[in-house]
Amino acid sequence: MDVRKAPAALSLPSLSAPVAMGYIPLGALFGFLFVQAGGPPWLAVASSILIYAGAAQFMMIPMLAAGLPLSTIGLATLVLNLRHVFYGLSLLNTLPAHRWSRWYVIFSLTDETYSVLTALPAELRVQRMTLLSALNQGWWVLGTLLGAVLGRQVEWGLSGLDFVLAALFAVLAVEQWRARRDAFPIWVAVIAWGIAQAVWPAQALAIAIGLSLVAVAVRPGPGPDNQARPPVSQTPTSQTPTSQTPTSQTPTSEPPNR
Amino acid sequence: MNDVVYLLAAIGLMALITWLLRALPFMAGHWLRHHPLVHKLGGSLPLAIMVLLLVDTAASQARHHPGLPWPECAAVVVVVLLQWRLRQTLLSIVAGTATYMLLLGL
Repeated sequence: MDVRKAPAALSLPSLSAPVAMGYIPLGALFGFLFVQAGGPPWLAVASSILIYAGAAQFMMIPMLAAGLPLSTIGLATLVLNLRHVFYGLSLLNTLPAHRWSRWYVIFSLTDETYSVLTALPAELRVQRMTLLSALNQGWWVLGTLLGAVLGRQVEWGLSGLDFVLAALFAVLAVEQWRARRDAFPIWVAVIAWGIAQAVWPAQALAIAIGLSLVAVAVRPGPGPDNQARPPVSQTPTSQTPTSQTPTSQTPTSEPPNR
Repeated sequence: MNDVVYLLAAIGLMALITWLLRALPFMAGHWLRHHPLVHKLGGSLPLAIMVLLLVDTAASQARHHPGLPWPECAAVVVVVLLQWRLRQTLLSIVAGTATYMLLLGL
């Protein structure tokens, strides 16, 4: 779903439809897996309303099922969603003036919403971003609800369905690789997991996350990520936003157009 | 997954962290854009985390059956190839999972 190919069609339904096609089935998959893992359906829906970050929500299913400590889950969320920091940087100057709208748009800035917003001309963006963001989240919540309800009805006896999660992580890894072809993180992850597995198998994931964090932070030399350059976003989905011209000079939470 | 207090605490924490990350550029945009560590982490960590999660879930799957983790490896290869060529997330996931279930059934 490449929304940037149709910049002429700027009506809300035509902007949101491609997002709906992706969000409803993926949201349903999340709701389904959450309930199949033993979680109550209302909490699946609550996650999609409150967290609203696809990769993190899928990640939390095995972590919650394993009963990992909150600190590990928090750390994993932090590193996984770090890319969102770079989205906001390029939207600094075009935010709704109204306080609540502004905070909602900031909250709901996902990969896909970001791509759609950056495809809009600046003046249209300010007008439509609140409603567009809300529509997009609506699809995600609707999908989650459908999946959670279905997950309640169906008792999936087939072994191997849990593999869906591994497949999803493989998909997200491929999209990360597409955005930035750097093999270093892969080696770091595999080696860190091997070490963690040898040292303390019960907490392997938590230890491996910590090791990876340190390895990436102390990576020597001017690597591909090390030089000063304009923020480049990481999109795990099919779009790569193009309008990457950060225009703000001042660190402020107040929109200049107010 | 039936301890509602634990689940709610985790969801609340994740919501808070995700929201803070999204709000950060609007509060400290200047500082962030010029901090090399932020670029380093933002550039490399997402892929590392995805690979970690992939290896960890695939390994825990492999513990459910005797023998070497060949079904996991084969199915992951199917997913990666499909996603790389076609970029259809649902197709990649469904085809990979179907491959895995077939291989386990053999």
